[in-house]
Amino acid sequence: MTIALGISDLGKRFGGLVAIDGLSLAIDDGESVGLIGPNGAGKTTIIGLIMGELRPDSGRIDLFGKDISPLGVAERIRCGISRTWQIPRPFANLSVIENIRIGSMPDSLRGMIFDRSDPIRERELAMSVGLAKNDLERKASDLAMGDLRKLEMARTLAAGARILLLDEVFAGLTVGEIDHIAAVIQNLRSRGITFLIVSHDLPALAPLIDRAVAIDRGRVIAEGPLDDILDHPDVRDSYLGR
Amino acid sequence: MDIGRHHLALWAIAAAGLFVLPSLVGSGILRTLILANYLAIFAISWDVLSGRTGYISFGQPFLIGIGAYTTAILTKRFDVPMEISIPAAVLVTMVGGLIVLLPALRLRGSYFALVTLALMELCYQLVQVIRPDITGGTRGMSGLPTLTRGASNGYYLSTGLMLTIALTAWMLMRTRLGLALSAIGMDEGAVQGAGLSPTRLKSFAFLASAFIAGLGGAFYTHYLGSIAPRALFDITFLFTILAAALIGGSGTVIGPILGAFFLTFLLEWLRPLLPGAERYFVYGLVALLLYMYQPAGILAIIERVRVRLFGDSRSG
Amino acid sequence: MLLQILIQGFLLSGLYALIAVGFTLIFGIGRILNLAHGSYLMAGGYAFFWIGQIIGLPKIIGVALAVFLGAGMGIAIYRLIVRPLKGDRIAVEIATLILAVILQAAIVLIFGSSSKIPHPLVPGVVRIADTPIAWSILVATCASWIILLSLYAFIRLSHTGRAMQAVSMDPKGAAICGIDSNRIDIIVWSISGGLGALAGVFFAGYTQLSPSMWVTPLIISVAVVIVGGIGSIMGTLAVAHIIGFMEVIVTTLIAPELRGVFTMGLIIVALLFRPRGLFGREEI
Repeated sequence: MTIALGISDLGKRFGGLVAIDGLSLAIDDGESVGLIGPNGAGKTTIIGLIMGELRPDSGRIDLFGKDISPLGVAERIRCGISRTWQIPRPFANLSVIENIRIGSMPDSLRGMIFDRSDPIRERELAMSVGLAKNDLERKASDLAMGDLRKLEMARTLAAGARILLLDEVFAGLTVGEIDHIAAVIQNLRSRGITFLIVSHDLPALAPLIDRAVAIDRGRVIAEGPLDDILDHPDVRDSYLGR
Repeated sequence: MDIGRHHLALWAIAAAGLFVLPSLVGSGILRTLILANYLAIFAISWDVLSGRTGYISFGQPFLIGIGAYTTAILTKRFDVPMEISIPAAVLVTMVGGLIVLLPALRLRGSYFALVTLALMELCYQLVQVIRPDITGGTRGMSGLPTLTRGASNGYYLSTGLMLTIALTAWMLMRTRLGLALSAIGMDEGAVQGAGLSPTRLKSFAFLASAFIAGLGGAFYTHYLGSIAPRALFDITFLFTILAAALIGGSGTVIGPILGAFFLTFLLEWLRPLLPGAERYFVYGLVALLLYMYQPAGILAIIERVRVRLFGDSRSG
Repeated sequence: MLLQILIQGFLLSGLYALIAVGFTLIFGIGRILNLAHGSYLMAGGYAFFWIGQIIGLPKIIGVALAVFLGAGMGIAIYRLIVRPLKGDRIAVEIATLILAVILQAAIVLIFGSSSKIPHPLVPGVVRIADTPIAWSILVATCASWIILLSLYAFIRLSHTGRAMQAVSMDPKGAAICGIDSNRIDIIVWSISGGLGALAGVFFAGYTQLSPSMWVTPLIISVAVVIVGGIGSIMGTLAVAHIIGFMEVIVTTLIAPELRGVFTMGLIIVALLFRPRGLFGREEI
């Protein structure tokens, strides 16, 4: 098995606060990993660091064996890794299909001007995350939360993501929408996409992941099947507080 | 397609109309049209940057002024022919565009607008202080070479220039590049998150805007044959450009053109009623009310009327 | 020379602080930049001129009218522009800039485009350390200091002032505590306008009245907010002195024409290298 995403000895402080403290993590190609931990444990910070939105103080990040530490955000995305946000960030005044088009553009001015867009592929991407056909021309600002999350996933897939980092992917969803999103994730897993999923909704998370990693105060405190690590004393302590 | 032939005929009629116009109307109206053309160019240049990317520039006169001053100084003080001085002016204006880009890499929103405002005022002060023997100081310069003689030639030149710029901008903005630039205005972080480099897109928008501003500024100077710092680096001038783009409908190409013609002719019609600078009072009120209550501009009003009259049947 | 710079610097800076304080108050309470702030000064200056030299009433009535006019303008701008735009800062900036141009045109409409020289608030000249200083300028600076210090006391000590602080720190939190933020906003906007117009009466003594006189005080106010990065009164005073002294030093030692260049340059440099300002973000 090749390692899709390798994080070694990652460190990040904000002023005096140590957010990430020598964290290491490896995710195999095609694996789905859940990242859990109490509020403020550093989950969102890790995603920011992997994507290059934040600069780490120490450590390195490898993507399919290649050190991506020196790369900027857009370049990392071109390497096949992408994220979604806790609060979805669609381009509100653009239609669903245009949102996907932004993701599928080449990152060069010449390509944007002269190459044609591929409406069939855009359509397929929208379908693959379960967006309805008659939603494609609707403005993104008119969509419900569940559809926004789908749209965001479609946009990241359009950019060629093979590894998806989902931040609080179930936040703000109704029960029905959670089922939909879960089905989309299962579908993408079966197509070989690698996942790192952050969620507080453990029952929803459980069927979507191969194993879980629990962190607290920027450190890994337990790793393994979700049921096992929920019984882990450190994990219990971190959730209940000491 | 049927629609295509229909459109082609409309375009041909419009072009013919524009061509024979000088023999139908007096030179007074032609001069107004010329002013409207240049204002349209400036408004498009503002819109390419601010209407799309959401970086509101209060410094468009700064860019236009750089273009105007460069060609004025080259032709007047160094006897450079206009064929060289105008391209040179455009290049220098693009360097000016990079100067405006610099703060945009660090600042967003209201602060960015303020820096560009400060840049414009700074230029006004500098022009008067630094080498007045070259810049003409407070009084500016006059007796510059002109490109055309007579109102009708000036009209053909300015119309051709405006239409070329508008058409190029329109075609460019219809591509995926235009889509990406609008996306910057909505959520720059998400553009980056979609794997596109916002810096590259912004650089393009700023340079394109500066290119248009420089071209317009240089031609305008050689139409007027004179240059005055207070007429260029001026909040009233800035206001006129902003108002044209916003009133017409920003984020489009046709909107700023509509706005420019609307405002220029409004200004002309008010001339007999309110001589002098007081016209700006009415002018400003119209701009403010439209901006407050119809932010999408005249274009949206026209669209609404069209839908009401003919139903919502867009042909594309 | 040094003494002269010191005296001139303190006189000018005191006035600058009064010019900018309304602008920083508004910035402090809603992070809103009111580009029509210079228009308060213009309105105040012309109102003073109108009462004193056209109607011929006592000057003190002119001062009072200026303050009321400014306060009314502040409330009007808040009610008619800021509130309908729902705090969209960029839209407010554009709309207030357009408003400033309208008001400039209105002044031309009423008073004509030529400059006017208002009578000094207090006639006569006093010599301090061999420097002749107009009484009106001395009075303006002292009045500025008194007003700024009382405003500071008002904000620190009074109930309303503390509510203003609360709104500036966290509007939602303040609303939960039962503060009517709408009322607070109206109070702050009227204070801002009134003080701006009063500063206009003083400012007219320095320069002259002209329809474009609003630009310079606006640039000064912008510079104070940008360089200070704050909405606090003490910060305003501090930065006003930086700018005031810089202008006096440039005027006396280098060239009078360059004073504006340095202020503008300061704005640009501050924004590029310290976007959050010298003092960072602070509450009122």
